[in-house]
Amino acid sequence: MSEPQDSAADKLAARVASATPEPLARRVRGLSDRAIAWLFISPTIVLLLAINIFPLIWTIYLSFTNYKANRINRPIEFIGLRNYERVLTDTDIWHTLQVTAHFLCWTMTLQVVLGFGLAWLINKQFKGHGLWTTVILLPMMLSPAVVGNFWTFLYQPQIGLFNYAVSFVTGIPPSSFQMIGDVNLAPWAIVIVDTWMWTPYIMLICLAGLRSIPDYIYEAAEVDRASKWRQFWSITLPMVLPFLMLAVLFRSIENFKMFDLVVELTSGGPGSVTELASINLKREAFEKWRTGYSSAFAIILFVTVFGAASIYVKALNKVKQR
Amino acid sequence: MRGVSKHFGEIPAVDHLDLTVGNGEFVVLLGPTGAGKTTTLRLVAGLEKLDAGTISIGGHDMTTADPAVRDVSFVFQQYSLYPHLSVYENLAFPLRSPAHPHSKSEIRRRVTAIAEMLRITHKLDNRATQLSGGEMQRVAIGRAMVREPQIYLMDEPLSSLDAKLRADLRLELKRIQQDLGATLLYVTHDQIEAMTMANRIGVIDQGRLIQVGTPREIYQDPCNLYVASRLGQPAINVIPPGLIPRFAVPPGTASIGARTEHMHISRSVNGSGQGKVEWIEHLGDQNHLHVRIGDHQIITLVDPETPMSRGDDVDIALTGPLFFDAAGNRLRGTGDG
Repeated sequence: MSEPQDSAADKLAARVASATPEPLARRVRGLSDRAIAWLFISPTIVLLLAINIFPLIWTIYLSFTNYKANRINRPIEFIGLRNYERVLTDTDIWHTLQVTAHFLCWTMTLQVVLGFGLAWLINKQFKGHGLWTTVILLPMMLSPAVVGNFWTFLYQPQIGLFNYAVSFVTGIPPSSFQMIGDVNLAPWAIVIVDTWMWTPYIMLICLAGLRSIPDYIYEAAEVDRASKWRQFWSITLPMVLPFLMLAVLFRSIENFKMFDLVVELTSGGPGSVTELASINLKREAFEKWRTGYSSAFAIILFVTVFGAASIYVKALNKVKQR
Repeated sequence: MRGVSKHFGEIPAVDHLDLTVGNGEFVVLLGPTGAGKTTTLRLVAGLEKLDAGTISIGGHDMTTADPAVRDVSFVFQQYSLYPHLSVYENLAFPLRSPAHPHSKSEIRRRVTAIAEMLRITHKLDNRATQLSGGEMQRVAIGRAMVREPQIYLMDEPLSSLDAKLRADLRLELKRIQQDLGATLLYVTHDQIEAMTMANRIGVIDQGRLIQVGTPREIYQDPCNLYVASRLGQPAINVIPPGLIPRFAVPPGTASIGARTEHMHISRSVNGSGQGKVEWIEHLGDQNHLHVRIGDHQIITLVDPETPMSRGDDVDIALTGPLFFDAAGNRLRGTGDG
């Protein structure tokens, strides 16, 4: 009695099974889901290997040789650590590192102070603060080449607005000083432009930090008899600090590698007073064609940034956990 | 507080409120959400500027003073701990005010004493964000208690805790208040908190203080229907005067308020009762009895051992219920039951 019913149930099950689609992969090529996943990410991996990982390894290799990229036919000789020795004893290199350090320290100091100050003001939520935020963020959105070009005009001793602004404030004639041409002023010229361009970035991140502090914390502090000054030092600053440190990390790495903006402004001159490490590197590699030597310098720079950033990130995590 | 008013736009949040909190007194402001309780506290603390009236604390006029000079402490509903500081630092924060310096050892002594009182000593080194809700709330209370201000202001400090912890902390808070002899203004919408902790209760509605009195006064002798309905579990039954036959009411009575203790419910003998038992809710130690009389439903407490069951006809007799006129105000007369 029950047999015909069973076979009917079997038929139904078979129909359901045939109507259910197989997993996409098997149906198309007989590939597993994992294989499909590899198929999709492999172009990225290949690209990454080709333009990032391979050049890095190749650079490390070249840094141990006397290779010159403009003399391809010359046999490549392995010279051990000689390039590194030369880089580290070269006074020019130390000079460029000094220039870089000056640039890095001053841009970071100014940008942190100004960025935090601006964020603090914007966070007061005065009328039109949205518009001001947009206006302040504009420099950051411009291309460094444009900014560089733009500021060479502003720094023009005869027609530059910057010189006129300074003369308006201080009373000295505008054509009496040259921001870009003067050996003493040029290092400051690049600091000013970078600060103008990137302060908004620090401000934006500080603003996010400030907005993350709820009002009731300040109310509690007020009832706890903390003055505005104490509220700032014991609440605002410690709570924004992780954000601020993160912004400084990003900006420091970028500014350590600074190239485009400064090349557009001063090309490292006058003399070599604004010759940052990366500008020097480009000269060694593609003007003097000392490929092996510049590879060694590049590796040293990379290790320096990497090491400093790692130490910094450790400190940052400590601040965050506090 | 005299004639204190505060408007947010057109809406009056606090409307001509007069209240005096005596020294060492525990006063609870009771009212539903949006009644203006929190605003009242914030006005006292100086976190909001008042539109009219005066506030004096400890005999000094503080109407326009900054929160810092008022010498009050505040427990916020949402804890408001300093998230980047440890529990110890949170508790020490009010003592570290440069204007009112305390020595290091004094700070340590006070913080550990408070932590012991609130049983959070083992958490002192934790960060404020690594605590459970109950612990955070205890730290918040501790931060208020660590100083000895003129008045402690507490804004529903127990509302976000679970029932058991709330009951524990309720007792603890009352004990601490009595130990310290502290003056407390406490805001809640929970009638049990109000009844158990307060020396006096102020019932507040739409920014107006309706009645102030001891818990017993407020419960037994409410001045209007609103106050009567705020207190009592289950809520007071409001019935029209004609519903219970053979029960005389004072002239002008529009409704009768009857609590459990005002009613005597018995199974009708001859099957001609006025009401019918509709439902019995078992709560464990007691039962809620839902009785239908005409279109009205009455909820009352009965013994869990009650012989009544669903569908029974019952007789209802009233003894000394409360009478209210058409505007909801209390009529001070006695009916006869």
